[in-house]
Amino acid sequence: MSGRARARARGMALSPSAAEVGRVQASPLPLSVALSDSEASSSSDHVGTSRISQKCEGGLSSGDAGCTFKERVGKIRREMMDLSVCTREKLAHVRDCKRGSSGIPVKLVTNLFNLDLPQDWQLYQYHVTYSPDIESRRLRIALLYSHMELSNKAKAFDGVILFLSQKLDEKVMELSSETRRGETVKMTITLTRELPASSPVCMQVFSIIFKKILKKLSMYQIGRNFYKPSEPVEIPQHKLSLWPGFAISVSHFESRLLFGADVSYKILRNETVLEFMTDLCHKTGMSCFTQTCEKQLIGLIVITRYNNKTYRIDDIDWSVKPTHTFQKRDGTEITYVDYYKQQYDITLSDLNQPVLVSLLKSKRNDDAEVRMAHLIPELCFLTGLPGEARSDFRLMKAVAEETRLSPLGRQQRLARLADDIQRNKDARFELETWGLHFGCQMSLTGRVVPSENIIIQDHICQPVSAADWSKDMRTCKILSAQSLDKWLVICSNRAERVTESFLSCLRRVGRPIGFNVNHPKIIKVQENPAAFLHAIQKYVDPEVQLVMCILPSNQNSYYDSIKKYLISDCPVPSQCVLAQTLNKQGMLMSIATKIALQMTCKLGGELWAVEIPLKSLMVVGIDVCKDAFNQGMVVVGFVASINPRITRWFSRCMLQRTTADVADCLKVFMTGALNRWYTHNQGLPGRIIVYRDGVGDGQLRTLIEYEVPQLLSSVTEASSNTSPKLSVIVVRKKCMPRFLMETGRTLQNPPLGTIVDSGATRPEWYDFYLISRVACRGTLNPTYYNVIYDDNGLKPDHMQRLTFKLCHLYYNWPGLISVPAPCQYAHKLTFLVAQSTHKEPSLELANSLFYL
Amino acid sequence: MAENNIEVADLGCGDVCLLMILKYQKCIEELVGVDINEERLKWNGFRLSPCMGDHLDPRELDLIITLYHGSVLEKDCRLLGFDLVACIELIEHFDSEDLAKFPEVVFGYMSPAMIVISTPNSDFNSLFPSAVFRDSDHKFEWSRMQFQTWALDVANHYSYSVEFTGVGEPPAGAEDVGCCTQIGVFRKIAKATESAVLEHHGEHVYEVIYTTSYPSLQQMDYCRRVVTYLVYREVNRMKRRYQVSLRQHELEPESADTGNPTRKFISDPPVPVLTEADKAMEMISQPFCIGDKFYVPLERIIAYPRLGHICGNVEKLREFLADVVELNCDGSAVKVDLHDCGDY
Repeated sequence: MSGRARARARGMALSPSAAEVGRVQASPLPLSVALSDSEASSSSDHVGTSRISQKCEGGLSSGDAGCTFKERVGKIRREMMDLSVCTREKLAHVRDCKRGSSGIPVKLVTNLFNLDLPQDWQLYQYHVTYSPDIESRRLRIALLYSHMELSNKAKAFDGVILFLSQKLDEKVMELSSETRRGETVKMTITLTRELPASSPVCMQVFSIIFKKILKKLSMYQIGRNFYKPSEPVEIPQHKLSLWPGFAISVSHFESRLLFGADVSYKILRNETVLEFMTDLCHKTGMSCFTQTCEKQLIGLIVITRYNNKTYRIDDIDWSVKPTHTFQKRDGTEITYVDYYKQQYDITLSDLNQPVLVSLLKSKRNDDAEVRMAHLIPELCFLTGLPGEARSDFRLMKAVAEETRLSPLGRQQRLARLADDIQRNKDARFELETWGLHFGCQMSLTGRVVPSENIIIQDHICQPVSAADWSKDMRTCKILSAQSLDKWLVICSNRAERVTESFLSCLRRVGRPIGFNVNHPKIIKVQENPAAFLHAIQKYVDPEVQLVMCILPSNQNSYYDSIKKYLISDCPVPSQCVLAQTLNKQGMLMSIATKIALQMTCKLGGELWAVEIPLKSLMVVGIDVCKDAFNQGMVVVGFVASINPRITRWFSRCMLQRTTADVADCLKVFMTGALNRWYTHNQGLPGRIIVYRDGVGDGQLRTLIEYEVPQLLSSVTEASSNTSPKLSVIVVRKKCMPRFLMETGRTLQNPPLGTIVDSGATRPEWYDFYLISRVACRGTLNPTYYNVIYDDNGLKPDHMQRLTFKLCHLYYNWPGLISVPAPCQYAHKLTFLVAQSTHKEPSLELANSLFYL
Repeated sequence: MAENNIEVADLGCGDVCLLMILKYQKCIEELVGVDINEERLKWNGFRLSPCMGDHLDPRELDLIITLYHGSVLEKDCRLLGFDLVACIELIEHFDSEDLAKFPEVVFGYMSPAMIVISTPNSDFNSLFPSAVFRDSDHKFEWSRMQFQTWALDVANHYSYSVEFTGVGEPPAGAEDVGCCTQIGVFRKIAKATESAVLEHHGEHVYEVIYTTSYPSLQQMDYCRRVVTYLVYREVNRMKRRYQVSLRQHELEPESADTGNPTRKFISDPPVPVLTEADKAMEMISQPFCIGDKFYVPLERIIAYPRLGHICGNVEKLREFLADVVELNCDGSAVKVDLHDCGDY
């Protein structure tokens, strides 16, 4: 709505920056494993008392890196789980070669670094037992580490599992150590596994090694990333500090072990929770202060002033004050005020503040009771951006400006990190003892596939820029458009004048493109959401083709209530426009053009097409998105093309009660889409290609074992003889590798249509990267495609080019987009339902792009 | 410890637990830990590194923490001139030969203003079931009499005064055994000429295992940052108050939400009590508005105690704000857009 209208008005400028900013958001897993293991070790109910012991653990983990194995190895990280799903071996046509051939080769630099290991390198996994048994992990580690036998070896130990890069002389080794109390403890070290360097367990050990190295470069771990607080970027007018840092990963790509690093920023707010509350209190007044406060704060991640820990705010306890007491671990009672004074020499200034409650979940043993931590708002810093801040255009722009890095700037950051790692004595020592060598940055060759022609009604045009062909088609007739005869415009009294001028403009731009706009019925109402809704209810009858609302403000209540009614209760396509958008006089023509095109689509029109060599191909986009209001609900969107030209779309959407993002209803959707295709084309499609977006880490197996069979059964049941052939492709907009093109002495983003299918891909998958977007500023993120099921047996080259073609077909933007159009449509649909309507759209609208 | 710029050394710092507590003390500027176990220092060093919060809200004073690997019985000139040297549960690990050397190094050579020595009180051991030393590495455990004799002797020899205390109260009925741990607090008897001798020359025997420096307001970039944030915070607060007052003019009378229990949750920003001087300040330099610009005089900003404390005077404040915050033409007030407030 508002965002969209604004984006439209502003044109391209927002789209790269919005994406950039998206990447900056707080990490989705803010409480890292490293933090949780220290939480698990302390047994106190109050943060106060447990703090010291937590510190100890924290210190240990940085000192020896061993202590995180239990989670890491016992509970393999989710993306690692995906790696064990080998889909390529089942796809005969790509078993030998998954590389395409068309296009012009282009030399690309990656953000991946070679990690060289000796050829016969192995990791040795040992199990360690103690006699007499020792509970304390700290003591277990201390005893083992102090032993001469192991002192100069590269090792990682969590108290139970020991990893060494050199084999011990014997398979079972007995050592004895003496505690400081003089007891003799026997340690039995038994070899359990020898792991090749490509094993997922090794990846985790490597990750831990690098974690240790980055800590030595004085970086802090927040979530999974590492940040340098000593070189912050400050945006004081918005109370923001941005810490530069890196997201890192070590993994096995095509033929080698690679270290990947991507620049990341952590947004910290130079604002304590108390200041935030005070501000909010002044803003909202007292009456709804507590509710608003809870709504805004719960779920946010805070950093405490006095230690390196992050907590999630789970609740606010308004009944507890800093002057209240809590029980320390030794049983004594102390007030929060005294505690912080004694422990941290901090004087609390506000004795009336409530306390924040954070639940500390122990990851180690699931049955452990959930413990609570009480935090003092004054001592907690906010991190990340609150939802409302994201819609603050100025703020987001300020953030984007600071965080957007040019390709060259990004490369310089990476080079500096590599340099730091190679130069730091401790880091080098650490790598050397493990036998690792930090090598050079990897380059590879990609291909730039030819650009596509855009088919409009009377001719085929070769756009000047594939990124934006709005200029090329300003006066061209679109493929098909229904004329708009009976429609309503609802506006406030104040907006009457702008509405009139906008409508005449709309008629003017509609004619040349072939969209006839007749005079609407204009209804003037008061400026409140109820009045708008009431007018709609009163005047919409079955003959109304479209309702346009000129909204006086971008309050969600207008948009949400209108959309909810017109999408589910009384299905009519609707178009919301912000009055302030129409006030931009100079831009009215381009705004009107964009809105005219959007309205055409909502009425079932087709704008343009690309050449699709495959006859009888149905493409499907699936996206899954969490409902904004109802926790535990997800919205599944399904969009399928229903004509061979791929210009008309059928959509279904469903809310489902599940925590996993797995689409449960796909069979029904698919069958519906096939029926629709049948009625339009008197037959079934020969091929179906499904693009599945919204897949989280670790869900690949579920997709293969659950979703693909659902789709397949629908497809096979559809026909008794030859059923359509199915392919399923997982689409990911976020991936570690980035590609930059060297041009002379500088670096640039790679050109549109760049495909990478070697080097940075995985040997066990049929995957490729595609760049189908431009960025005027900043660095591009490639989109990652993983073909997990493929009956069609298309050549990799054809699969890649078809995917590229599909990125041209999103009617909300006259240019290429970063994902295939069906994915973007599905995303639009799920977003609308998840954010605004929270209700399944009516089937009557299923044949139009009502969700644009 | 009211005075600032304190330097503290912990001899036999082991797992750095004491340093961990001391690093939060605002008055300390230098912390040193010495231990003979190199591995433990290597392990524990990171526990002393600055927190993320130390970057967001820097300390007032610099703080440098250094861990040395070495023997307490060796002289290293970097340990000269400390305010406090702590030897917690240290001396009982010395054999008689080392114990004899110890006072010469700590009292004679390092010669800090204050020394705290703690050691087990063997009188208390009668409450324990077994009759052995508390730790297998203890070479002796002294009764209160033994410790005090030794301590008084040492104190006299090196011109220190000594007071005895302890921690770990004995249980009821056994008060006569004294505390579980006995402590001697030694204070140097001041000599006017002493300071001249404190020159840092001599040998560096200890090996630096870990060192870290904390961000602080004494560092220009951190100080400027903090000042900028505080200024924005104050200006926004005044602007909001101004906007509210404008609104109240429009919608008078507004229903007062008194009696609402939530009122008490948050008291006003930390300047609620205005002294006479502040009131006077308020009189002369109120924020004002010209067109859609909102101005806050620097005079007014510096009246905010924390800023006043950091900057001292308006000139200094102006210097800090230069190039970061927009000022009016004569540089006497901060200028922001009245309606473009950064709130969300």
